Amino acid sequence: MAENILEMKDINKSFFGVDVLKNAQLEVRPGEVHVLLGENGAGKSTLIKILSSAYKKNSGRILLDGKEVNFHSPKEAIDAGINVIYQEFNLNPYVPIYENIFLGREFTKYGFIDEKKTIAEARKSMDRIGLKVDPKTLVGDLSVAQKQMVEITKALNGELKVLVLDEPTAAITDTETAELFKIVRELKAKGVGIIYISHRMKELFEIGDRCTVMRDGEFVRTVTLEETSEDELTRMMVGRSVSFEKRVNNHIDEKHKSLEVTGLCYKDVVKDVCLDVKRGEILGIAGLVGAGRTELAKCIIGAYKAHCGTVKVHGKELENVCICNTIKEKVVYLSEDRKDEGLVLIHGVNDNIALPNLSRFKKFLLNDKKITSVAKEYINKLKIKTSSYKAQANTLSGGNQQKVVIAKWLCIDADVYIFDEPTRGIDVGARDEIYEIMYELISNGASIIMISSDLVEILKMCDRVAVMHEGEIRNTFVNDASLTQEKILSYALHGGAH
Amino acid sequence: MEKVNKTESFSKIDIQSLALYIGAVLIFITFTILCGAYGKSFFTLDNMKNIINQSAVIAVIAIGQSIVILTGGIDLSVGSIVGFVGIAGGLLLKSGMPLMMVIGVVIICGCIIGFANGYFVSFGKVPAFIVTLGSMQIIHGLTMVLNTGRPVSGFPSELRMVVSAKIMGIPISIIYVFLLYAIMITVMKKTTLGRWIYAIGGNANAAKLAGVKTKQIEMLAYVFGGLFASIGGIFLLSRLSYADPNAGMGYELDVIAAVVIGGIALSGGKGSIGNTLVGSLILGMLKCGLQILNVPVYFQTIIIGITIIVAVYLDKAKERKAE
Repeated sequence: MAENILEMKDINKSFFGVDVLKNAQLEVRPGEVHVLLGENGAGKSTLIKILSSAYKKNSGRILLDGKEVNFHSPKEAIDAGINVIYQEFNLNPYVPIYENIFLGREFTKYGFIDEKKTIAEARKSMDRIGLKVDPKTLVGDLSVAQKQMVEITKALNGELKVLVLDEPTAAITDTETAELFKIVRELKAKGVGIIYISHRMKELFEIGDRCTVMRDGEFVRTVTLEETSEDELTRMMVGRSVSFEKRVNNHIDEKHKSLEVTGLCYKDVVKDVCLDVKRGEILGIAGLVGAGRTELAKCIIGAYKAHCGTVKVHGKELENVCICNTIKEKVVYLSEDRKDEGLVLIHGVNDNIALPNLSRFKKFLLNDKKITSVAKEYINKLKIKTSSYKAQANTLSGGNQQKVVIAKWLCIDADVYIFDEPTRGIDVGARDEIYEIMYELISNGASIIMISSDLVEILKMCDRVAVMHEGEIRNTFVNDASLTQEKILSYALHGGAH
Repeated sequence: MEKVNKTESFSKIDIQSLALYIGAVLIFITFTILCGAYGKSFFTLDNMKNIINQSAVIAVIAIGQSIVILTGGIDLSVGSIVGFVGIAGGLLLKSGMPLMMVIGVVIICGCIIGFANGYFVSFGKVPAFIVTLGSMQIIHGLTMVLNTGRPVSGFPSELRMVVSAKIMGIPISIIYVFLLYAIMITVMKKTTLGRWIYAIGGNANAAKLAGVKTKQIEMLAYVFGGLFASIGGIFLLSRLSYADPNAGMGYELDVIAAVVIGGIALSGGKGSIGNTLVGSLILGMLKCGLQILNVPVYFQTIIIGITIIVAVYLDKAKERKAE
């Protein structure tokens, strides 16, 4: 048996003339959890998609068990024992678990599907990894963690040599994570090579054996996790070190309230919310997913019609709160969901930046030259990595897409920016750049409301923190040395009652 | 290194976007050679005028359809509007209403139909396919009711002159077509309205959060659909000087074919309205050329069907390659 169950050598791939992978490599031993680490856009996903044959490589070799393989379709890769569990699951939510597990490998009797046997087999393999639900349950009714287990069950059904887990813990709870790790360790014991992608440093050290770091599509180094530290990994990923300390903000104008919200209600998700943000201030809104933070933001800008309450901009009450008015009043919202709400993915970077600003570029007709020059200006200013100013937004990496979203609103020169999860799914380096942009905004007299689930980020960036729980703001803290993650969390989890 | 890559990718894109024109020229050359081989002539001034003249109705309706499709919708009612405009306009003319006023009235009718379509699609949230499938039937039925299913004929000669008059030897319909296209290309490319329509088709949520009044604009797209369908109807009425309640039936499919051949994505947000004109001309050229070659009608249909699929297949080459 070969020392490595999987070797990927000198893999190259380019999209539309942009090199995404340059001589990337990866070696995985049997029975090892191999962490693949890198910023967004470092090429991890592309490498995995080449492994699973979702993309074709331009050049390079893949060796499975020491033998070179060349798959032509994802199915061939699966048949050979390479299974990838993506963040977005490949399950049909409308059919029961057992059908999903045996999709493409149905048991038949006289040419008809043998349901009894399928269900029995499904139950057996579900028991093996401890998924305790009725196999007849519809997949759509399962929790994220349960869906993940269904995916793993599915993968275990064939011969499994290499299992790729792409951000498996991004959307599941701590207990579920522990559950998942138990399964991962069992698979390890069976000699499966596991490739584990995650941004969460703590769990990498808990579950991983070795780690390969990628940067800008290139292989940086493979290290044994026991012999390294978080800081060292971060340095390898970013190429420099990153700080988590709160910066002193001396731009706050205590006397001027840029935005004042009173008594805002929306359905039963936003309940009588009051908040204000001063010029030059960053107000954080913490809380769990589903606490009503995004809905609150959308009510403020008028995307949702609030049932009651008022919005004041620079002390002046808005009569009709609707998006076009709030944009005119220079209050803007940067959506948490850049793919669905932030960008027109099939349009160019320039058109995306121009979209909310069209009136600026028009006399009678639109001035394309001006649009182009402004787009180029922001591409340089925000260091957006793109093949051209008119490249389609979907060819950019997550962090760069987020910068395009920021650019289109920077261009409006707003007074109040509401950032909704501005760094979700974005790597450390781009994160810092986004923080820098935010600092620059407040130093120029803008105000920022930052909705975030990342408490480290909240404590690093915000001057005050409002904590939402079930639609209400339960407390607003000044972010000084006494404010801790635990304090915020206790209000976010149960409104501070305990 | 980076510079080399850039120029490379640009030249690739250029060839891709030229594919439509290359295709049009190839079809043209093929017909010229084939007709020559059979001792007939394809490339004559008369034939060219004929092609444009006959494509004019489809080309004009296709402007509106392009706008609707760019928002991600579809308008199946355009063919029935053509029939309706013929009969309603014809009856009004017969009743003695002045020609210009008749034209004004039927255009307003077209806009109202489009408005109704758009209202149900954007505010009513009913899928565009369903709304316009329904309104197609309603309008066709209304057309039948108007004159109990009979055609209208015997119009004054000034009606024919609306599209058949000539300016310096060029049929005025050709001038109308190019003028309408020039206006709408400018609107789509150079005004905020045009950008908004593209943005809605590309991602309506993002457009909404960027301050675009998505519902109103989407509705407006269908008004354009009705407007250009009624202009197409006037073209046809004027050219034939005869109104048949069944005229225009099936035009919606020809029009959609022209739009799709021109490269506008049915999912919306992508494509250029100018190419719709090329798409209409390709369709017109095929019909005219195959007629000259005496290809039986059924085979013509087959060839046109193949053209539609091949055109989109070639258009998707880039996406296939990206995989």
